[in-house]
Amino acid sequence: MKNYDLVRHVKGESKFVDDILTPEGCLHAYVLYSQIAHGNIKSVNINTALQMEGVEGIFIAKDIPGENQIGGIIQDEELLASCKVDFIGQPIAIVVAKTVALAKEASKKIIVDIEELTPVIDPRVAFEKGELIMPPRVFSLGDVEANWDKCALIVEGTVESGGQEHLYLETQGAFACPVEGGGVKIVSSTQSPTTVQKTAAKVLGLKMHLIEVDVLRLGGGFGGKEDQASQWAAMAAMAALKLNKPVKLILPRQDDLRMTGKRHPYSSDYKIGLNKEGKIINYEVTFYQNAGASADLSPAILDRTLFHCTNSYFVPNVKATACSCKTNLPPNTAFRGFGGPQGMFVIEAAIYKAAEKLGIDPCLIQEKNLLAEGDEFSYGQKAEQCMAKASWESAISKFNFPHLKKEIDEFNVASKIVKKGIALMPICFGISFTTTFLNQASALVHVYSDGSVGVSTGAIEMGQGVNMKIRQVVASVFSIKIDRIKNETTNTTRNANTSATAASSGADLNGKAAQLACNNILNRLKDAAAKYLSLANSDQIEIKDEVIYYENKPTRLLWNELISSAYMQRVSLSSHAYYAPPGIYFDKDKAKGKPFAYHVYGTAIIQVAVDCLKGVYEIESVKIVHDFGKSINKAIDRSQTEGAVMQGIGWMTMEELKYNENGRLLTDALSTYKVPDIYFAPKEFEVEFLDNPNDSLAVFNSKAIGEPPFMYGIGAYFAIMNAMKSYKPEKHFEIISPMTPERLLLSLYN
Amino acid sequence: MTINFRLNGNDTSVELAVNKRVVDLLREDLQLTGTKEGCSIGECGACTIIVNSKAVNSCMLLAQQLEGCDVITVEGLSDGEKLHKLQENFLKYGGIQCGFCTPGMLMSAYALFLENPKPTVDDIKTAIEGNLCRCTGYKPIIEAISASANS
Ligand code: FES
Ligand code: FES
Repeated sequence: MKNYDLVRHVKGESKFVDDILTPEGCLHAYVLYSQIAHGNIKSVNINTALQMEGVEGIFIAKDIPGENQIGGIIQDEELLASCKVDFIGQPIAIVVAKTVALAKEASKKIIVDIEELTPVIDPRVAFEKGELIMPPRVFSLGDVEANWDKCALIVEGTVESGGQEHLYLETQGAFACPVEGGGVKIVSSTQSPTTVQKTAAKVLGLKMHLIEVDVLRLGGGFGGKEDQASQWAAMAAMAALKLNKPVKLILPRQDDLRMTGKRHPYSSDYKIGLNKEGKIINYEVTFYQNAGASADLSPAILDRTLFHCTNSYFVPNVKATACSCKTNLPPNTAFRGFGGPQGMFVIEAAIYKAAEKLGIDPCLIQEKNLLAEGDEFSYGQKAEQCMAKASWESAISKFNFPHLKKEIDEFNVASKIVKKGIALMPICFGISFTTTFLNQASALVHVYSDGSVGVSTGAIEMGQGVNMKIRQVVASVFSIKIDRIKNETTNTTRNANTSATAASSGADLNGKAAQLACNNILNRLKDAAAKYLSLANSDQIEIKDEVIYYENKPTRLLWNELISSAYMQRVSLSSHAYYAPPGIYFDKDKAKGKPFAYHVYGTAIIQVAVDCLKGVYEIESVKIVHDFGKSINKAIDRSQTEGAVMQGIGWMTMEELKYNENGRLLTDALSTYKVPDIYFAPKEFEVEFLDNPNDSLAVFNSKAIGEPPFMYGIGAYFAIMNAMKSYKPEKHFEIISPMTPERLLLSLYN
Repeated sequence: MTINFRLNGNDTSVELAVNKRVVDLLREDLQLTGTKEGCSIGECGACTIIVNSKAVNSCMLLAQQLEGCDVITVEGLSDGEKLHKLQENFLKYGGIQCGFCTPGMLMSAYALFLENPKPTVDDIKTAIEGNLCRCTGYKPIIEAISASANS
């Protein structure tokens, strides 16, 4: 079973937006952005720039034909800054020229006069000033206030977690071409074609049907192209329509780093209470989310922090408050895990600190509090088909945790400078968009008269293998060779009103829709086969490996003949199907409901070695038992797991975004923002598939895989802490991530 | 100016501006878009090609420097429909997710093989240390290159 997408990748034949052969006369756009984090725009003078040779047009806020508004959840973000700027990197003008170099050159001639105001960078400062994106959100369960008395141990503290750059290797970009009737066709590197379509329609003042968005594939997304691909597409579209020429806009890497939002940094306060047996009785937490300058997806991300604030543990009394704080940074946005990792990091820190107080290994507290069947989450849903303990126990025994631990203890006794540390990290992650209405998908399947098949869905291929999984679904329903099936591009004229490929749900939702569409056609094909074979009814007809069976016996009819016969019988060989998972709901006001179709569970054991003089560390091993449900494609799921864990470890350890007090990103190049390279990859990486006998709501009882393993990365942080602790047992370290080598040394020696 | 060089085994002659980078020459003038641009400053390796048997970042090289050189890009790796063993093994071991780093990875690995047909895992790591992959976690990439070394 060859994956053609991948074959094209290795031959260098696969096309990304910037690779598309552009028509003669295609223009290039460059975006001029604010160099000031907060201020009032006095004037923008484009005259000199406009006179330059090769410049075809320059557009600023007042040139926008429709609304200058790209906010999704809250209407608080302009496409081009009109009278004020709120972050460094905020777009002010679109310069269009014959070449990128000319457009960039011309942008330097634009004079922007800004009256500077003091920027706010820290979310807690923003909170003090009342600068909130929306009112704080609270999730609660039981009664925290009434139960502090019953706690034998209470620990309070603060946790900081840093942001994270997506670093999709393909930067943001779009190509727009005017089409007849005043419309535009946009090829975009987006996880959400419908969002691009809607945003462009609004900005251009056009009906959505005049805008066609087409997506072939993405060179990585990770959430960064869920909401923040739209502005570039809208800009290219606007320039294309204004100039009546095709326009391409690709962000140079440095601009992408400066202009786009990232994973939200959080600052949090916790208070945890345990009884004598180590059971968590009470957990109170307040999250200060650094939202950046506008809402973007922050409200939904804030909610997911709350949903996952108790991770894989049952806590009977919870009060969790979350504040989305408005600062003068680029609007932070979706990133794998969507606020969940930040919430989970805090409870892991709380457990770590409680264990430190008790002088025990944190894993004893973790284990004692794992979710059991029927336990209630703070949002009212109960843990069903709960695999928390199963994955934990399986990891402990499969990888012989006591032995690993013993080896480490012995090593640390013998080794003075290099210390090893190990940590367990259980995860529980809810699957579904928690904004319930987004849980819908459609598929369009055509069987062509030669027996080949084309499938279109709302899913975007960005490396996660969703196209392959959907082809597998189609091949399996029809029982035909996978080579017959082609994934079409994701296109708004074939699949309308699609949800973003996000929340790990791409294959779940779109795979199900494809399955339904195929079933529709299959039923018609069975009738057609019955007619062709002169059988009274089609009940006993099946297709197995391209052969038509009747009453479990092969007939002379094969797939190709069946299709051409069905066509001649005037049977429709196409179907459009729609899927919305049943039974999920969430009452935002009460913060109660059943927002998730199911949960994904698993446990990781992460081992590190830290050089306590140099501050450098190595990830020695990552060992995981993960609940994949009944995986459709183990190779893809394994690879997703490894990549997600690597990214999670990066977030917790080496990836550091630094801003100065003026709101300027200092780590604005790959030379200063370091992501894991080959040397940082774990030396040992084992992924075990947990036996899960249960059926799930996802396609063929598989489970979503995109995000959950990211959070195993948190284990690396605590493994490093444990190693540091064995070097300086008397020290109490602050919980601040990322734990860069620099921070590690500061923590050890300050 | 005009330059002459060998590109994927063919004699090539192109007219170009003095300040044109190799990555632009390949992608824009010659429509060889398999070579990707990820960072433009020599830090990601997505633009790696082979010049006179050595892996180089094509974003850091001026096109005029190719005069008289022997250049291989990802498009020149397979022998028609027959994939190179590196390509086969990247497929087999799952060394590819989004595919954007893949051409650069393949080129760095290929350059390593030109120099050292039996590299160790450490040699492999050194060869691709300048190639970033944001998707895979590297494990299958090392496996794919190791397997190619041992075949
Ligand atoms: S584009 Fe050349 S090294 Fe990144
Ligand atoms: S496969 Fe996406 S960057 Fe390597």
